[in-house]
Amino acid sequence: MLLRSLKLHIIQCGFAPVVLQVSRTCSNMPLSDTHQSPDNAVSGKQVKSERKLVVPSNSRFIYPEFLPDPKMEWRNSLREKLERLDMIQRRKHIDIPEFYVGSILAVTSSNQHAPNKATRFVGICIQRLGCGLRANITLRNVIKHVGTEIKYQLYDPTIQKIEVLRLEKRLDDELLYLRDAPNEYSTFDENMEAEYLPEGTPVPVNTTLVKLKPRPWRARWERKNMKGLADLELEERFYKRAEELATPWEKYDLMKQYRRTIPEEEQKEIFAEVCSELHEVEVMRKKLKRKKVFVKPTRSS
Amino acid sequence: MKCFTSCFYKKYTYTLSRRYVSTSKNVEPLSEIVAYQNNLFDNEQKKQKEAVGRIEKMIIKYHGVPENVTLSMNKGISTPYDCAKHISEMLVKRTGLALVDNTHLWDMHRPLESDCEITFMHAQHLPDPYHFNRAYWRSCSLILGAVISKAFKNDIQPTLHSFPSPNVKSGSFVYDVELSNLPEWTPTENELRILSANMVKLAQTSYRFDRLAVSEELALDIFQDNKFKKEQVPNIAQQSIDKKVILYRIGDHIDISKGPMIGNTDLLGRCTITAVHRLDTKYGHLYRFQGVSLPKGIMLNHFAYSLLEQRAKKLNAARLPDQVNNDMFVPRFSSEDSIA
Amino acid sequence: MNQAEVSQLISKLRIRISPRHKNLKCPEGPQGRLNKLRKTVNALFKYERLELNYTIADETRGYAERLISEAIRHGDTHKPTMEMADYWIEEKQLIHKLFKVLVPRFSDYKTSYTMLYRAPKAYPDIVYPRSVLELRGNPFPSILPQRIDQRNFIHNILLEEAKKAYRAEKYEQITKSLNEQDVVDK
Repeated sequence: MLLRSLKLHIIQCGFAPVVLQVSRTCSNMPLSDTHQSPDNAVSGKQVKSERKLVVPSNSRFIYPEFLPDPKMEWRNSLREKLERLDMIQRRKHIDIPEFYVGSILAVTSSNQHAPNKATRFVGICIQRLGCGLRANITLRNVIKHVGTEIKYQLYDPTIQKIEVLRLEKRLDDELLYLRDAPNEYSTFDENMEAEYLPEGTPVPVNTTLVKLKPRPWRARWERKNMKGLADLELEERFYKRAEELATPWEKYDLMKQYRRTIPEEEQKEIFAEVCSELHEVEVMRKKLKRKKVFVKPTRSS
Repeated sequence: MKCFTSCFYKKYTYTLSRRYVSTSKNVEPLSEIVAYQNNLFDNEQKKQKEAVGRIEKMIIKYHGVPENVTLSMNKGISTPYDCAKHISEMLVKRTGLALVDNTHLWDMHRPLESDCEITFMHAQHLPDPYHFNRAYWRSCSLILGAVISKAFKNDIQPTLHSFPSPNVKSGSFVYDVELSNLPEWTPTENELRILSANMVKLAQTSYRFDRLAVSEELALDIFQDNKFKKEQVPNIAQQSIDKKVILYRIGDHIDISKGPMIGNTDLLGRCTITAVHRLDTKYGHLYRFQGVSLPKGIMLNHFAYSLLEQRAKKLNAARLPDQVNNDMFVPRFSSEDSIA
Repeated sequence: MNQAEVSQLISKLRIRISPRHKNLKCPEGPQGRLNKLRKTVNALFKYERLELNYTIADETRGYAERLISEAIRHGDTHKPTMEMADYWIEEKQLIHKLFKVLVPRFSDYKTSYTMLYRAPKAYPDIVYPRSVLELRGNPFPSILPQRIDQRNFIHNILLEEAKKAYRAEKYEQITKSLNEQDVVDK
């Protein structure tokens, strides 16, 4: 039996790192941590007793790719169902964590030309597109003063690992304007350490306002009604034209909205179908995470 | 050349005609007696028409589609059919039976006798076409009798016996017939099909049902060659209120029935004669002809109709001819003729 | 490939929605289109039964259904819903009707809230297909004729009796086979 003293890093609310020193504990014994164990024990029991799971109301934000394309001509219930099965199958092999546009991710994917056959790319998620097996994300970072973006298919079999380094949201659903922003807005350290959010805290919203470089831009951002942009400092005529082209009535077009969403009843059906499996995957991930934290060796001083 | 062609054509048609020549002269056995019967019937009809005397008017009220009408018609001459002709062609085509003053069922070709309110009944009469259905079923039996009496060759003489009172729920309409020289006969599919075709053909000739109430003597005279009817006539005459026998005629076929009947044979739509069963009665061997049919305007898919045909193949459980209290010969006008 | 919008939850409508909106003749563009529809939606809530061109009736139907379902879902204390009702209903007393009359009427409905019938064309005057749009539970007499009872028609009587005869036969067969089985068992 190995007796070791271990350090456990847990980041609590407010991102203040607290170091717990656990001495004389067996590595393969369950952790008697006061913060974590009750939660896990409860969730473990839930799976075993197979109690009817309540679909969490925020599923549609966490797993948006499980909702099918709302375009009616392309709907096909059988294809959608098969895709969901495949997605769950894939999620059992790699951990696709909860993340949002604005979160900082690290994706490790197979690369036969790399020396260790894998590349790790760290970047901010600027766009999340597609549904079903075609769901994809775009990561952006500035590497050696060059803005770099990589689009990853979430369910691509060559992806080995997806880590969330910082879980947060931004003010907008798309951060494509970072392309026209100075480099410091999208520069992230490649060796950045993952920040852990405690269980149950709401996802923090990063309210930084991005100050764009002067024109020309890749899009006319003054017309896009973006919330995360600082004052654009344009001439009056640009704002006038933007006002001319605005479509304020669109928010009243009830049927347009309807055709762009999946109705609540259908969403419930879909998530009820995948809920139990997703929950299992979640529990597994938590266990793995705990193990990883445990295994991390530190030099005793 | 031309001559040759015409000759060839002539020859060809000749062979054709020989091949498909009608055998009608073989199957018209009773032309003489039929002519005699019809002559008597015509004379009686004429006599009754003349007996009306001075023409008086009566007021007929009609309430319903296409419009509410009040007609002034001739008493004792005008029939519900005439009234319908004054109102709408639709009524003329679909009506099978008239209802007088909401109490008496009236044949379409029976002259009206006094001021009244008239209703026309058809196969889809609302709320309930019960009386039309009954009259229709009865008429089908009568048409079947007409078909049978003409369908056989000379050496087989069908003698019509009677048909039981109509019961749609039994699934088939019935006529009981004696066939001389045919002690054991099971009709083939084709024979039944021919009978059905004959029935449809007869119906499509659109004969009207002529109704005539005659005295016992005249009825006996008309049915002098039919041993069964001759036996039945006195019975019927005795049981009726005014000692009369009611006859119906379609084309040249005359039969006894207390009625009412539908107005015209062309109301008969789809029709199949499904089976002939042999009955042993005190009158000897009789054959029970059975069929099923639907009036015009009632549509049914072929599968559902085949179910009806299959059911109609089973022996109809209606009263046998030798069983007493045969409904057909008890003309209970008070109960049968009125619905009130 | 598009992604479903997840920012708001919407109740499912109980009517068939065509994949694409129908074009209306509208020189003012999409805003004019909404203005046009606003008039019919308003009139529908006011009169409860309208005769319209089919295209505009079909479009109006979706908006009216959505408005009612939003009102039922959120009630009159929900600000965005109220704003929406304020936009769609021009006569403001009808907003009260929506929340005080129509919501109670439709709250336990399991079907759609409106009905759309195709109306006959009066040839040759009107070439466009006409239709009748109505709110369910309106006080007017029904548009469709009452179903006539066809049970007593001759073919239905015959079929009914045939069914009875068939069943009787089957029961007889079953009892017979049961009896035979009993004999074999003994």
